[in-house]
Amino acid sequence: MSAGKQKGSFVERHLHILFPLPAVTFVVVMMLFPVLYTFFLSFTNWNLTSGMPLTVVFLRSYQRIIQEPRFVAALGRTFSFTLMAVSVETVLGMIIALILNREFKGKGLAKLVMLLPLVSTPVAIGIVWNLFYDPTIGLANFVLTRLGLPRIAWVGSAKTVLPSLALVDIWQWTPMIALILLAGLASLSTEPYESARVDGASEWQIFWHVTLPMVMPTLLTAVILRSIDALKTFDIIYAMTGGGPGYSSETLNIMAFKYSFEYFRMGQASVILVFLFILVLLMSLVIMRLRKSLEL
Amino acid sequence: MRSSLAMRLLFAVVVLMIVLPILFPFIWMLMSSFKTQVDIVAWPPRLFFSPTLQNYERVFREQNFLKYFINSAIIGISAVALSLLMGLPAAFSIARFGQKRLSVFILVARLMPGISFLMPWYIIFSRLKLMDSYIALVLSHMLITLPIIVWIMATYFESVPLEIEESAMVDGATRQRAFLAVVLPVAGPGIVTSVTLSFIFSWNNFMFSQVLSMERTRTLPIAIYNFVSYAEVDWGAVMAAAVAIMAPAILLTMVFQKYVVKGLTMGAVKG
Amino acid sequence: MKSKFVLLIMVLSVLAVGAQQKEIRVLLANHPYGDLLKAAIPEYEKATGVKVNVESLQESQLTTKLTTEFATRSSTVDVFMTRPLQEGKMFYKNGWYEPLTDYDFSDYPQNALDVAKFGNKPYLVPLVTEWEVLYYRIDLFRKAGIEVPTNFTELENAAKKLNTADIAGFASRGRGAAAVTQMSSFVYNFGGKYLDKGKAVFDSKEALDAIRYYGRMLNYYGPKGVTNMSWENIMPLFQAGKVAMWTDASVFYGQIVDPTKSQVPAENVGIANFPAGPKGNTPYIVVSWGMAVAKQSKNKALAMDFIKWATSRELAKRGMLANITMARSSVWKDPEVRAKVHPGLIATQEFAAKFGYPYDRPYMSAVGEARDLIGEVIIESINTAGTSANLEKLAREKVQAVNNLLEDTGEFGVF
Repeated sequence: MSAGKQKGSFVERHLHILFPLPAVTFVVVMMLFPVLYTFFLSFTNWNLTSGMPLTVVFLRSYQRIIQEPRFVAALGRTFSFTLMAVSVETVLGMIIALILNREFKGKGLAKLVMLLPLVSTPVAIGIVWNLFYDPTIGLANFVLTRLGLPRIAWVGSAKTVLPSLALVDIWQWTPMIALILLAGLASLSTEPYESARVDGASEWQIFWHVTLPMVMPTLLTAVILRSIDALKTFDIIYAMTGGGPGYSSETLNIMAFKYSFEYFRMGQASVILVFLFILVLLMSLVIMRLRKSLEL
Repeated sequence: MRSSLAMRLLFAVVVLMIVLPILFPFIWMLMSSFKTQVDIVAWPPRLFFSPTLQNYERVFREQNFLKYFINSAIIGISAVALSLLMGLPAAFSIARFGQKRLSVFILVARLMPGISFLMPWYIIFSRLKLMDSYIALVLSHMLITLPIIVWIMATYFESVPLEIEESAMVDGATRQRAFLAVVLPVAGPGIVTSVTLSFIFSWNNFMFSQVLSMERTRTLPIAIYNFVSYAEVDWGAVMAAAVAIMAPAILLTMVFQKYVVKGLTMGAVKG
Repeated sequence: MKSKFVLLIMVLSVLAVGAQQKEIRVLLANHPYGDLLKAAIPEYEKATGVKVNVESLQESQLTTKLTTEFATRSSTVDVFMTRPLQEGKMFYKNGWYEPLTDYDFSDYPQNALDVAKFGNKPYLVPLVTEWEVLYYRIDLFRKAGIEVPTNFTELENAAKKLNTADIAGFASRGRGAAAVTQMSSFVYNFGGKYLDKGKAVFDSKEALDAIRYYGRMLNYYGPKGVTNMSWENIMPLFQAGKVAMWTDASVFYGQIVDPTKSQVPAENVGIANFPAGPKGNTPYIVVSWGMAVAKQSKNKALAMDFIKWATSRELAKRGMLANITMARSSVWKDPEVRAKVHPGLIATQEFAAKFGYPYDRPYMSAVGEARDLIGEVIIESINTAGTSANLEKLAREKVQAVNNLLEDTGEFGVF
């Protein structure tokens, strides 16, 4: 009886360790170890297909990847894709949130529609958009020809592929920003608005001087979360173009995937992964910092 | 100040201009899934056509999509269930003991690019002969579901008033007992939110399954991808497959709309 | 207690049967011949009592799975389908193929055996051959009043005549890496090569002429967005009647005359020899699929027995009757086969077998990467209609990169 109680109190005293233990163990085993292993592999020249044993070459794989024009191009593309997609999503999302931020009949339905792209399978989305973009039978070119514009190749040409892919991302994720902002706007107090109106401020002034500063924390977090996800975009690009034509839509994620699972160059693939990893880690640090400074 | 009819009409048009572009790809997908190949490749694109069910028949009968459906469900449900088992106590602990660092650690799992663990998993799982096994897929999908559950539930548990568990503890219950008997029962909405969202993300996952699954454990997103890459783009059937994949997630969203919105937006709104 | 005992007996008896039952594991590709084998395996199981565990995989997944299992030494595969030109060299160098010393290869043509042998030992059994042909629309040619092109000049003139706003005059793969194989015949007919004596040479004048010609043809007369198209995108266009001429592998013939898939009636679809170039006519004819026994197999005797059955003359004939172009020579002379298979296939096969070149891609371990690199040059050429001033420089860079790959695996200058 008393032993049982003591045992119970042990559990109780160590609840803050015991409760999270399974989850933490899982994450350590499934995430931390693999990441460390990737770091180790990045210092080797291991190639599954060369038949040669793994040898530690220290920074040589890094050197080869950094000197690889394909890597530099993929890095640039990763950023330009993210910038294109997220900037449009932010502006559009803000506009939509401001418009919908009032009570009206069918608001629930409008919100439901906005949820649909967020919960749809990205691979399937990509394929549906490929049907739109099909240069010969696609709706996109039909619209262009009706407007008297020439047909374009959309994802079929190196010049237009990245904006075309960004457009899909914009379609899918603008509603996310809008929904987050809507929730943010709804939680604002109405007082500052009333006093601004009393002072005779214009709608634009109210937005710029009252609304925007108040939703800024929400907006920033949403934008950074979205940017991290955009940097990692994989499914849509892989399903729609596989990084092509040529390498013209190959981002870091796609390149790392090809190096790992098509070329089996595990050493060099790890180098790309380390870069991607650092990139995301830096962005995450920014989030944490931002949250802290905004809370103060 | 009542808005005039004209203003209200204008507003309705604006709302439609927002909603329609979002909805349109779904409508087009649904329509195309009932078209024959002839109707799909027709130029100009056809709005009116006589619908056919042959695409769905092809997808389920010839392409065996039911099997991939079941695989996706097995993997998603197992991953979510195991994640709940591990994630609920962890989330509770984070909320009650203010373990900020822990929550950040788990958040990092959500932010990290999946491919940075995938490559090592691939090597380890193949050494352990676990490629194409449900174990490997469930474990990998848990890295998607667990962070979502912990993240959402920690926030939720913070909003559960301390008093209810304290009053249970005054009555002689231990904290772990109070967690099970008093806190969990009131956490229903939070659990619904986290389960729905994490299941949807597992259901939609492509990258992990693409590498770790083969014929036996193949999930739906891989099935549709493979279908396109060598079924010489039979658009009608592909669209039917797309409808079939998206339907469960969309249905779940419709049923649990309120929770899904909350789950998707709370991370950012909460400071 | 009693039920436990019964259970134990049951488990033991299952184990005992399991131990006696002979089993092998076979990996097949999602390919018409793979499907045919899969359907025929129950016959083999019945005749021999050996249980065959079959898995079918898409071709790139098959390579990935085999590579992973072999490289991590975790394989239980006994027999597998393999693409000699894609992975043959790499698998051989890593010692993943078991030599097939007591297999009778007398029924196979010499050029098919070239890719099956390494050193002087054969390592894989050729299964299926493919060669490049010209598919064309008989009705459109008749309407335009022109003849089927037999050389590149005529091909270009015909494309120009047949090209309309709605119908592409000429189509061929444009998606970089995928285009490499179908462009190879163009390169050969211009007198160039991808690799020569273990070195990359696709920056030669001849090869560049071919790449420029290919780029010009596709830019002027190709379907919109061709740089993102492989056969799976072009075939539906052809089936929808939107392509007048198409150069690709012979395997697609069955599908473009299939009335359930094509809107173009079969009598309007023609198949002709690949057109000649300035340096003659040597289109590729390759062993696209073969079959091999895994070095790591623990059931080699069973595996050998299975592979002999799976590549037998009888099954090859069944393949031919299903429009699969098999590598065995004798089945092509079989009267029943000749009666059923399209004469155009037989004629083009005879031509390609006599004059063709047995590679359609750079034959090396790192084929995948090399194809990506060459693909960039192809895309640059298509985008500029073959006029790019940058093409020589780009090709030189890619030749250097392919040579680096060859050096990485110790194949540079080795042949």
